[in-house]
Amino acid sequence: MEFLSSSTFLLPFYGFLKAFFVAMFGLNLGVILTWVERRMRGMIQDSIGPNRAAIPLPGPVAGGLAFGPALLGAAAVVGLWYSLGQDSGEGEAGGHAGWGMIFTQAAVFLIWAFTAIMARVVRERGAEGAFEEQFADLGEPRSIVLTGILTHLALLALGVASVGTPYEQSFTDLSFSGGMALLVIAMLGSAGYVALRLFPEKEVRLTLLGLLHPAADGLKTAFKNDFEPQKGDKLLYQLAPWISFFPVLVLIAVVPFGPALCFGKASDGSIDFSVFQGIEAVGNVCRDARFSLQVADLDVGILYYFAMAGTAIVGAALAGWASDNKFSLLGGMRAASQMVSYEVTLGLTVIGALMIFGTVRIDEMIRWQTENAWGIFVQPLGFFLFLAAAIAETKRVPFDIPEGESEIVAGYFTEYAGMKFSMFFFGEFVAVISSSTLMAALFFGGWHLPFETATGIAVTLGETTYFTAEIEPSALAVLGFLTMIVKVVALCVFQIIIRWTLPRFRYDQLMRLGWRKLLPASLVNVMLTATFILAIQSASAQVQGWLTWAGQLSMLLLGLGFLASVVALLVFLMTPRQKRKLVASSAARYAEAMGGVRSLKMEA
Amino acid sequence: MSQTSEDEVVLGPRRVVGRPVVRPARTASVQGYIPEMLKGLGQTIGYALRNTKEMALGTRNDPVLESIDDGINTISYPEQRRPYPERFRGVHRLTQRPDGSPRCVACLCCSTACPAQCIHIEAGDYRDDAQRAGYEKYPKRFVIDELRCIFCGFCVEACPCDAIRMDTGIHPAPYDSRDQFIYERDLLLAIPGREGEHETENPRVEPGEPGFPGIARLQH
Repeated sequence: MEFLSSSTFLLPFYGFLKAFFVAMFGLNLGVILTWVERRMRGMIQDSIGPNRAAIPLPGPVAGGLAFGPALLGAAAVVGLWYSLGQDSGEGEAGGHAGWGMIFTQAAVFLIWAFTAIMARVVRERGAEGAFEEQFADLGEPRSIVLTGILTHLALLALGVASVGTPYEQSFTDLSFSGGMALLVIAMLGSAGYVALRLFPEKEVRLTLLGLLHPAADGLKTAFKNDFEPQKGDKLLYQLAPWISFFPVLVLIAVVPFGPALCFGKASDGSIDFSVFQGIEAVGNVCRDARFSLQVADLDVGILYYFAMAGTAIVGAALAGWASDNKFSLLGGMRAASQMVSYEVTLGLTVIGALMIFGTVRIDEMIRWQTENAWGIFVQPLGFFLFLAAAIAETKRVPFDIPEGESEIVAGYFTEYAGMKFSMFFFGEFVAVISSSTLMAALFFGGWHLPFETATGIAVTLGETTYFTAEIEPSALAVLGFLTMIVKVVALCVFQIIIRWTLPRFRYDQLMRLGWRKLLPASLVNVMLTATFILAIQSASAQVQGWLTWAGQLSMLLLGLGFLASVVALLVFLMTPRQKRKLVASSAARYAEAMGGVRSLKMEA
Repeated sequence: MSQTSEDEVVLGPRRVVGRPVVRPARTASVQGYIPEMLKGLGQTIGYALRNTKEMALGTRNDPVLESIDDGINTISYPEQRRPYPERFRGVHRLTQRPDGSPRCVACLCCSTACPAQCIHIEAGDYRDDAQRAGYEKYPKRFVIDELRCIFCGFCVEACPCDAIRMDTGIHPAPYDSRDQFIYERDLLLAIPGREGEHETENPRVEPGEPGFPGIARLQH
C-alpha cells in the first residue's frame, strides 16, 4: 500500500487524465465498433453499409490537413536526428543502429505504400500529368507491395549481417543519415503530392471510410424528439438509461492499460517522475514508487467488475418497468432474469482463474501470467464459459432476447427515443469493450507479449536462452500499452463476428443453457482446477519443472502462431483471385463496351 | 420410365413417387453445437476478410461482367448502373433524315395505335414549291406525354416510316412537375439512340433523288 500513501497533489491530476483516457477509449472505440458492425456486416452480406456522412472541406484546407502533419513529422524526424547526432558526436560505433533502422524501414514503407497506391489509382483512372505517367508502367500494385516487403527484409538482414564487421560503422552512419533524408523526402513528397492534388479542388468530402456516419447518427439522436410515456414512472424512466450506461463505462477503470511504471521517490515521499526505472515485469519490481496505468488501483480488483456489471441489470429492468408498456416490461423481465442467471456463471468461471492466480487484483493476475503462462492456457474451459457468459451479460446476439425485436418490438427500450435510446444502444457496445478489456487481462496476458521481460524479449526454453533482444524500458511501456489496445480490439471484433454469425436463442433454450450447461460446467471447472492445484502442489520438483517448460512452450506457440498468422495474412492479401467474365446478355455487352460497370465512380 | 421400388413411398393412403429425404445424421459434431458454431464463425471471418480485401485492393467483382463469381456483386445504383438490354423500351426519340428534319410524315398511325392516348400530333403541309409537297406531311407539333405513356411500344410497331423509336436506353427521368414530362417535337428529335445516332439504318429515298419510287411512277 505504500504507493497509495505516496500520492501527492499531482496524483489526482494523473487520475483525472487516466479516467479521461478510459472514457475516451470506451466511447470512441464504441463508435468504431458501431461502424465495424454496420458497415462491415454490410460488406459480408453483399451490401454497402452506411458511409454517406462527410465533412465538406475547401481544397486548400484539405491540402493543408494532408501536408501539415507530414511537415510536422518531418521536422520532428530532423530534430531527432540532430539531437541524437549531437549527443554522441564523438563517434560511438553502432550507437544509432536502432534509430537508423527505424528511419530506413519507415522510409521504405512510405515509399512502397505510396507507389502501390499511385500505381493502383493510375491503373484505374489513367495517368493525369507527367508525374503520374511514371507510375503507369510499374506493373501490378501487388508486385510493388512484394518488392517493398522484400526490401524491408533485405535491409533488416543487411543490418544484422553487418554487426561485428568492419562495415558496421559505415552502414550505421549511412542508415542513420541517409535513412533520415529518405524518410523526410518520402514524407514530404507523398503528402505534398496529395496536397497538390487536393489544393485546386473546390470541395473535398472527408468521410474517413464512413467512420463519420455512426458519429453523425449519434449526434443526430441528441436533437430528436424526447418522447416520454404519459403514464410511466417519470423519474425512473429518466434514470434508467444512465443506470445502464454508466456502470459499463466505469467497468474499464480497474483494468491496467499497460505495465506499471517504476519511478524514483522524491525526498518528500512523492513520485519523482524525472527518474524512470523501467517497467514492472519479469525481472523488475518497483523499488521506490509505482505508477500504475489503471484508473482505480483497487484491492478488490475483479470484484468491482462484478459489482458494477450487476448494477447494469438494474438499468434494463428499470427501463422495462418505468416505460408503461407490456413489451418493455417483458423485455425488462427477460433482461433481469437472463443477466442474473448468467451473472452466476460469470462469477463461478472466474473462481478457477482466481484460484490459480491467487489474487483478485487484476495487475497481479497479469503479473502471474507474465511469469507463467497466459490464462487461456491454464483455464481453457474457464475462458470459453466466461466468453459465453460475458456475451450474455452484454445482452447481445445470440443472447439478445431482452431486445428480441422479432417478438417484443425492441424489448426494454421500446419506449425510448433520441439520446436515451442511443444510450442503451451505445451502452451495449461499451459493455462489449469493457468485457473484452477484462477478458484480455484475465486470459490473454493483458499488456504482455510472449517472452517479454523488463529489459526486452528473451526467448527461454528450459534453462537455455535462445534469443534476446534489448528494448528500451520506455519503448516497452509504449509497446505494452499498444499490445493491450490491440488485444482489446481483437476481442471486440471477435464478439462482433459472433454476433454476425449466430442466430438468437429461444428464451427456454437460453435458460437451459445457462442453468443446466454453463453453470455445471463452471462448477466442474472449479473442481478440476482445485484438483490440479492440489496435485501440483504435492508433485515432485521434476513435474513442476515440466510445468515451467510447458508454460514456456505455450509462449513459444503463441509467438510462432502470431508470426504464422501474419505471414498467412500477407499471403492471403497477395494472392490474386481468378475472375471469370461472362458476357451473355446485351446488357453485359453494353457494359463491356463501357469498360465495365466497376470503373464508374462509386461512393461506397 | 422405370421406377425402382425405392423411389415409391407410401404416405398415408397415397403412394407418392419420389425419393425420401435422408435426414442428416445426428452426429456428435452436429449435436454438440460447438463444432458447427466454429465452422460458421470461420465462414463469417472468411467472407469478412475476403470482401474487405477486395474492397481495399479495388478488385471487387464487376457487378455486371463478373457477377458469376463469389464476392460482392451489388450495383450501387445511382453511381453504378447496369446498362439496359438492347430491346429495352426507353424514352422515345424521333429519328431524323440526313438533313435533320423528322422522318415522321404525320400519318397519325402511332397516336391511333397508342392505348394510353399520350401522343398528340398536329400535321402540317409543306409549302407548294417544296419537293416533298404532295407526297407527305410533316408534324407541326409532335407531343408525347411521358407520364401517360405505358411504354408498350405499339407506336414503334405502328410507325410505317421508322420515325419513332424507343431504343434510347434511358428510362424517363423523374421530374419536379408534370409539365416537364410533356416532350415536344424538338426535344424528341434531339434525343439520340444508344450509339448516339439520330438516323436509322433503314434507307429512305427523298423526292428528287435518283431511285425515288414516286418520281419513277410519275415518269411512266
